[in-house]
Amino acid sequence: MKFAPLILKHLRKNWIRTLSTVLAMSVCIFLFCTLQTVVEAVNFGLHSGNASRLVTRHYVSLVYNLPLNYKAKIAGIPGIKQTVMNAWFGGIYRDPKNFFANFATEPEAFLQIFPEVILPPDQKERWLHDQRGCIIGRKLAQRFGWKVGDTFELESSIPPYRIGHPFDFVVDGIYDSSQQSFDLNSMYFNYKYLYEATGRNIGIGWLTEQIDDPSHAGAISKAIDAEFENTDTPTKTETEQAFLAGFVAMAGNLALLLNGIGLAVAFTILLVTANTMSIAVRERQQEIGVLKTLGFSSGLVMSLILIEALLIAALGGLVGLLLSKGMLGILPEVPMIGDVVAQYPSFGLSARTALLGVGFALLLGVAAGFLPAMNGYRTRITETLRQV
Amino acid sequence: MSTTEIAARAGAVSVQDVRKFYQRDSMQIKVLDGLSLEVPEGEFLALMGPSGSGKTTLLNLIAGIDRATSGRVVVAGTYLGSLSEGELAKWRSRNVGFIFQFYNLIPVLNAVENVELPLLLTSLSGRERRERALTALRIVGLADRSKHYPRQLSGGQEQRVAIARAIVTDPKVLVADEPTGDLDSQSAEEILDLIQTFNRDFGKTIIMVTHDPRAAARAHTQRHLEKGVLTA
Repeated sequence: MKFAPLILKHLRKNWIRTLSTVLAMSVCIFLFCTLQTVVEAVNFGLHSGNASRLVTRHYVSLVYNLPLNYKAKIAGIPGIKQTVMNAWFGGIYRDPKNFFANFATEPEAFLQIFPEVILPPDQKERWLHDQRGCIIGRKLAQRFGWKVGDTFELESSIPPYRIGHPFDFVVDGIYDSSQQSFDLNSMYFNYKYLYEATGRNIGIGWLTEQIDDPSHAGAISKAIDAEFENTDTPTKTETEQAFLAGFVAMAGNLALLLNGIGLAVAFTILLVTANTMSIAVRERQQEIGVLKTLGFSSGLVMSLILIEALLIAALGGLVGLLLSKGMLGILPEVPMIGDVVAQYPSFGLSARTALLGVGFALLLGVAAGFLPAMNGYRTRITETLRQV
Repeated sequence: MSTTEIAARAGAVSVQDVRKFYQRDSMQIKVLDGLSLEVPEGEFLALMGPSGSGKTTLLNLIAGIDRATSGRVVVAGTYLGSLSEGELAKWRSRNVGFIFQFYNLIPVLNAVENVELPLLLTSLSGRERRERALTALRIVGLADRSKHYPRQLSGGQEQRVAIARAIVTDPKVLVADEPTGDLDSQSAEEILDLIQTFNRDFGKTIIMVTHDPRAAARAHTQRHLEKGVLTA
């Protein structure tokens, strides 16, 4: 602590240089934390799939529906405990910017296969017996201020589900989840309602199956696909995790891309900070000589320079962390982007990412300050002061 | 002769048969050539000689900021050749005060903080350090400038702050390298008065390198160096 004034006054002396270095570091940590949060959110979603659930869809694409009779056929395959039909409704509430995910499903089977969905018993009962009813996630209810009993309309953007007028729904329940990964921004309604309103002329988007033993997932998947192999509508069955991973794969290797950007920025900032520290130390060669003359050991001089670099890094890290927290807080409110963010229930700066960010900033500080500090360590008094 | 015997027999400074060579590329430059010098405690010695004669190198060896190629340097009872770099740094902080030609104050620190610098290496509390630094500034007549930064002081005042920094740890030996070389004649006289006071009133051993005969005249003893050897 007694050396603090010496360090702080040096930082203050060239405050423009210090400020710009702190800002550069803060941009680096801001990007690191923000990108890491995105990567974490995506990975969290990928790994949150239930190992005892399989997903069956059209072999070619989710765009194509499966015939309705597939449900019964799959239900008869050994190892299958329960199946549920699902369809992406693509409903729009008043304006496309109000986007949220909405699915047609079978309420009873859905609640059995997804036990993480928590619904008060009275609301559950109500939904099971109300064909126009729907359940909505807690966050979606908060977003639009909907309460149980409220009604709203959705108009689908998918041609087979467009019936000349919007579908009207009643909020039968507001669900929470025992798993952080389960999306609370979605809406689920009765498949029968969709089926009948569209003239009983639609298929199944995909089927979710609950199996009796996760270790048999591979064999059961093969058995399901084999059942429909030589039909007009072959299937692709995979674990829920693999199914979710397929969505992310559509955007390429997102983690690699984001980490690549982060590393490139970090490397640039490392060079900038190291250069700044080198200049700062080079300007103070004579002063280092004086300190050593007065009895400051080489180790102490090296420590003072490293602490200076670490202070810049820590300050930059802190600012970057705050910027990232602010940005991640604002993102859900930004039109369009907020809709994407809403797909990741765990989106937000986690303590782990914040700690990683601070650690990364300090690591950059040490890396940037090491060579200048070594330079200070090696400085010979007689070379910096007047010689013969 | 053992290190202990040397230390016991020596005065404040004992330099015995010291050689110093510098390596410049493939050339070996001889700076000091078998030089011996005894400086008793309480002595005020002026080292004179032309540029390149080895005055500053000798001063650096005595101050423990450079090492002899061969020979023995004993200062304040310590054989400096036996100390590691870390030990030598600690020894310097306790036993030697430095006065440079160009003051070498730290520009970002004010006068009292500059004077306090050597005390940061002691176990004194912050308040004790500050009190001692202010006392040292009072002794050199700059108590009223304690909060001034080097750029706000004249050359003479800067050198007085540097002298306060040199004496604040109460070292046994003060070494001064052309302490008046950058000052006008009036300021130079004031600085020399001050240095003389430390020798006369506080019994400090002072070794001063100078080109100025008037400065040298203030010393008890004058020695001349020529091509790395003492000629007078």
